[in-house]
Amino acid sequence: MSLAAIATMVLMLLLLAGFWLLQAGLAAGVAYVEEKVEIVADLRDVPGAEAVLVVQAEALAADVATLPQVRAVRYVSKDEALARFRARLLERGQVDLTGYLDRNPLPASLEVSLVDPRDYQAVDDLLSSREEVVEDVVEVQRLIERLTSVTDVLRTGGFVVLLVVGFVVLFIIVNTIRLAVVARREEIEIMRLVGASDAFIRWPFIFEGAFVGLLGAAVALLVLGLAAAPVGDMMYGFFRVLPLELGTIARDIVLLVVGTGLGVGILGSWLSVRSYLGG
Amino acid sequence: MTSATLPAPASEPARGAEPAPGPGPASRPVLALRGVGKTYPNGKVALRDVDLTLGEGEFVFLVGPSGAGKSTLLKLLIRDELPTAGEVIVDGRDLARVARRKVPDLRRRIGIVFQDFKLLPTRSVRENVSFALEVTGTPRGRIRPAVERALAVVGLSDQADQFPTTLSGGEQQRTAIARALVHEPRLIIADEPTGNLDPLISWEIIQLLLRINELGVTVLVGTHNAEVVTSLRRRVVALEEGRIVRDGVGGYHRDD
Repeated sequence: MSLAAIATMVLMLLLLAGFWLLQAGLAAGVAYVEEKVEIVADLRDVPGAEAVLVVQAEALAADVATLPQVRAVRYVSKDEALARFRARLLERGQVDLTGYLDRNPLPASLEVSLVDPRDYQAVDDLLSSREEVVEDVVEVQRLIERLTSVTDVLRTGGFVVLLVVGFVVLFIIVNTIRLAVVARREEIEIMRLVGASDAFIRWPFIFEGAFVGLLGAAVALLVLGLAAAPVGDMMYGFFRVLPLELGTIARDIVLLVVGTGLGVGILGSWLSVRSYLGG
Repeated sequence: MTSATLPAPASEPARGAEPAPGPGPASRPVLALRGVGKTYPNGKVALRDVDLTLGEGEFVFLVGPSGAGKSTLLKLLIRDELPTAGEVIVDGRDLARVARRKVPDLRRRIGIVFQDFKLLPTRSVRENVSFALEVTGTPRGRIRPAVERALAVVGLSDQADQFPTTLSGGEQQRTAIARALVHEPRLIIADEPTGNLDPLISWEIIQLLLRINELGVTVLVGTHNAEVVTSLRRRVVALEEGRIVRDGVGGYHRDD
């Protein structure tokens, strides 16, 4: 069992899963930005102090509304945020896992639409200065730009990288299996002379390739499972996408990883056996 | 591909009787080479113009110096190589016309014994012999009795659980012969079966092959062993530089 074969298989599958997740996440993120809101301020969320924060938020909203650059300000409560989130899951046919949470993780926010989308600095400054109320200020336009540029890079770059890595994995598997065939050369010759069919001789090697694929998939999924929490936080910070939105993605990812692992493993061993043992 | 001649009469074990030296006229030849030539890609001519027929129940020695073409001829018989001229017909089938994927089938009808035994070192005697049936997908229930029969014929029933490394050369070769026998082939081909064995053991192996021949199996033995060939007075086919120069009852050398 070649360490190189399994290691590269795991790498390829992680990359594959990573790109897939990113794509899905970004698609979800872009959808978020349907509202014509230019700035969103995530408000601080302190368990136990909710009532106080609501009062402070409403006061801040009033202040923001007085700015000349502001067209409208809207306060979105935590409850409303959660309701919206659930509605979005529903309309996209995704699994709603929010029932498993013991408290609402979504923050309340102020949604600000501007007179001129480019003239956001003053609003930004005011919101940023109120640190006791405001957790984070997000310029939505910049977010969209960030999302689209990353999506573009992912699409072309990701595809190329995966293709290259895929070939490397295939190559390594072909050679690993070839080594296995060579090691059992004498036994294979005897099998041939005694009248074993080609399929009989080949199947153990095909099986070995499949095994590399499955083992690689298992390790990759384990790594993904462990990385899910920290990566999820990063995704929200960067792209405002909550991992919970990716509920059904888990099943898709498992299918993708296992399927690709098995497929490449079997393909590699089949190619190797065919070229070395003959048709 | 079936031949138009009558099927061969059923072979009966002829215990104690002198085995007949030639085939019955109505039996289909077990093998027939017609105008066979083999030239390798590098230009070497291994066989030229070979005509050879073996009938049911024959025991034939194939002799000749090294490089005369014995091994090549035997390879042609198991379709390890294809002739560049002429036809090789085994059991009524032209080997060149047999599809690649049917070749395993062919090999299962012929028992082959080699100079270097070619046993699987990680398997016991019994497992080595049953291997020949396992690879053909024979059901487990039928394998056991066939293996025990074959082991009994070669006299290795008591050593069935030993491994090749603990066996003597003679015992290893007997294991190989049991393996060649186990699927009850019509023909057994032995390529220098006594090459790695001392004279006494060599005799035992040849005796074993003769006994098997008495049971009705056609046997073709390629060999250098002049003593054995000359003293047994069987049909001898002599090859020299790829041609058959002698074919008839006699000794190893022309004047023996």
